[in-house]
Amino acid sequence: MNQIILETKQISKSFGKVQALNNIDFYLYKGKIHGLLGENGAGKTSLMNVLSGVYQPEKGSIYINGEKQVRLTPDASLNLGIGMVHQEFRLIEDFSIKDNLTLSKTNIYIKDFKKAYDKYSKIFSLSAESNSPVSELSVGEKQKIEIMKLIFSNSNIMLLDEPTAVLTPQETDQLKLSLDNLSQEDGKTIVLITHKLNEIKQFTEKIFVMKNGEMIAKDLKTKAVSHKTLVNLMVGEITSSKVNKDNPKGEVKLRIENILHKKTESDLNILEDVTLSIKSGEILGIAGVSGNGQVELANIISGIEQNFNGNIFINDIDVSIKGVRARKELNLSYVPENRLGVGLAPGVSVLDNSAIKEYSAASYGPHLLKNKLLEHLNLLIQEFSIKVPDPKAEVSTLSGGNMQKILMGRELISNPEVIIASQPTRGLDVRAVEAIHSLIIHQRDNGTAVMLFSEDLDELFKLSDRIIVLYEGKIIKEFDIDKASRQNVGLAMAGVHE
Amino acid sequence: MSRYILVKKASIHDLSTFYSFLIGLIISITVGSIILLIQDQDPLDIFSLMLKLSVGSIDSLSSSLNKAIPLILAGLGIAIMNTVKLWNIGAEGQMFLGAIIVNLVYINTDFGSPSLHIFVLLISGFVGGSICMLFPAITKVMFGVNEIITTLLTNYIIIGFTVYLINGPWKDLNSLNFPVAAYVGEEVFLPTVFGRLSIGFIICILCTFGTYYLIDKSVLGYEMRITGGSRMTAIYAGINAKQKTFIAMLIGGGFAGLAGAIELLGQTHRVSTGISQGFGYTAIIVAAITGMRPIGIFIVGSLFGVLTIGGSVIQTVGVSSYIADIIQATTLFGALIALFFFTYQIKEVKDG
Repeated sequence: MNQIILETKQISKSFGKVQALNNIDFYLYKGKIHGLLGENGAGKTSLMNVLSGVYQPEKGSIYINGEKQVRLTPDASLNLGIGMVHQEFRLIEDFSIKDNLTLSKTNIYIKDFKKAYDKYSKIFSLSAESNSPVSELSVGEKQKIEIMKLIFSNSNIMLLDEPTAVLTPQETDQLKLSLDNLSQEDGKTIVLITHKLNEIKQFTEKIFVMKNGEMIAKDLKTKAVSHKTLVNLMVGEITSSKVNKDNPKGEVKLRIENILHKKTESDLNILEDVTLSIKSGEILGIAGVSGNGQVELANIISGIEQNFNGNIFINDIDVSIKGVRARKELNLSYVPENRLGVGLAPGVSVLDNSAIKEYSAASYGPHLLKNKLLEHLNLLIQEFSIKVPDPKAEVSTLSGGNMQKILMGRELISNPEVIIASQPTRGLDVRAVEAIHSLIIHQRDNGTAVMLFSEDLDELFKLSDRIIVLYEGKIIKEFDIDKASRQNVGLAMAGVHE
Repeated sequence: MSRYILVKKASIHDLSTFYSFLIGLIISITVGSIILLIQDQDPLDIFSLMLKLSVGSIDSLSSSLNKAIPLILAGLGIAIMNTVKLWNIGAEGQMFLGAIIVNLVYINTDFGSPSLHIFVLLISGFVGGSICMLFPAITKVMFGVNEIITTLLTNYIIIGFTVYLINGPWKDLNSLNFPVAAYVGEEVFLPTVFGRLSIGFIICILCTFGTYYLIDKSVLGYEMRITGGSRMTAIYAGINAKQKTFIAMLIGGGFAGLAGAIELLGQTHRVSTGISQGFGYTAIIVAAITGMRPIGIFIVGSLFGVLTIGGSVIQTVGVSSYIADIIQATTLFGALIALFFFTYQIKEVKDG
């Protein structure tokens, strides 16, 4: 029995100039588990938000149980039995489990809550009492409550956005059993959004693949498709690299050994046994799906995160126990992933922000020489062709590209020994991306060792001399660029390595 | 479908704060006039009377400026704390503790030279204000406790403590049973510079420039600004965000404590509940109207001093002194609203 419960036809949605969804045809079979696969920014979450009524599509139509929906609001979507679990939990921490589960106005188990709770807590093997507050639960347990909330509010179509991102392998196995049970016993239709290949193979029956806002593969039978096919679909063809990689490489500039980092509140290893080195004139690309330890690794090397085991050497000087400033003095530059908020201080002027790396050079005792700061900013503006209306303007009023140029320029102008660049082109338009890329290449040619964290495989293949893949805090694979294939890197990113 | 959103302007006019203050002042005078008209008073008469009696003579002008001293000093303290984007609601309590510490030091020390003694006492006032800020500062830095709550609540503790002191251990036996402490000796009264204007006003001018230098021209000020913008950026830049926060808070409290010391040595000459008549709260208005700019605080603080004296003298013709409070408060409202429109623009966006 292959009854279609939900169908979208030619759905389109754009945000400004970005086409998030482009003529999407998508459908779900009643009582089956579907996988929706795609890279970050492929449009998976946008599509789910359209289905749950959060976004209104500009064109296209949605059919639920064969009926055309004129205007799907969050309310209407809920009443039609569509429920979504977002990546960030939407639970009320101070409320009890029971209150959270029965919060929705469409909830069906308010009368015989106890019976229902007993049944479903068994299915999810949840041991918590229903009157204990949600804040006392672990992340994995909260995830279970989120999914149970959908059941309790009578959702028959359950959209789960990256549900395994926060789970341990054991919890993931458990979740699979629970979801199987729900689809088989209760006839729930489930969509699992993920970019982990192993899981999509393990959990689902049907697979849909999105890329750049388009649905590029529909209704694949999970059993019949191979990992490699999926990776090729997901990441597409490699665009040939135009960057000359034959520049001379020199001494090792950055070396890190056996980095171990634990999350403070748990025993979970965020980083485990990470060892790598980068030579002068070399770009090491770090690939990986976000949340696999990249931010932490960059913070540890830059000195922001001091809680770790292992050693870090810059030009063979051990800086493991040295602070941010000492590492800056050895001319380490860091372009953090979080542009506004870490790299730049919002609410503070462009001028102040442009001096963050080397303001001590403009000081004379307690006095700060404003002229020197201005000279420095003007140098940045010229050197990196940045558009700044007024040095006193708040940095957050600049465009994303100009903000990133201020940040990159500030970190590059001193010709650093080592530069750590994290997602340097995320969210920028094509021209800004090109500008940032040529800055990085130029810096490499000046003999800087570059560590490039990126989720954009095109970028990594274009710039890197070597690529390392981080998966769950470990280096699971290292590739020389001429031996690396997009497929193998993609597989490693998804946790597959043979 | 289209809707309207607020967008921050890329460049803001240098004098926008000043203009918004003027707009606020116009609004507040209009509101004040309406209230006076309702009371069957001629606004023009009342306002000219206020002006005459608050700035019309050397004596009245100097009294007005004396009233401005605590507003300016406490306002500067609030501005310093605001460089790390924290609010000091506790200037009132810091003034009291400043005065208490001054009295304590006065009782227990004796310097041969009066000027040295006064200097030491003023420093003690500063230290007193800082001590008052210790609890909010420590809890902020260690546990991130909201400083608005802690600074506000320390006010009540310190004022209660003051009441205890002047009813108990420090009670002046010659005061006909009024709850006040004994007078300090005349040798430590602040000297006057002209009319009744105490030397505290000169200290105010120095502190204004000092604050301007600290916030705008010094390395410490720069580090505090970055810390205020984003604590993560400060940590990223190798700036000790907690230390800068702590320093900014202690200096901010110290300025209010100094104001308390000047009130004690220059005006009341003894510890009483009259050390501050809400100056610590009015100073928040002064600092906020000026967008936390030291020179602006000096000007607006002086103006508010005039208003305070003007408000109290019009009582003699049967007009409530609250008219001055209303003007102060509506100036803040008007100025903040005007500043909002100087800072943001309304933009139409197409939905979807």
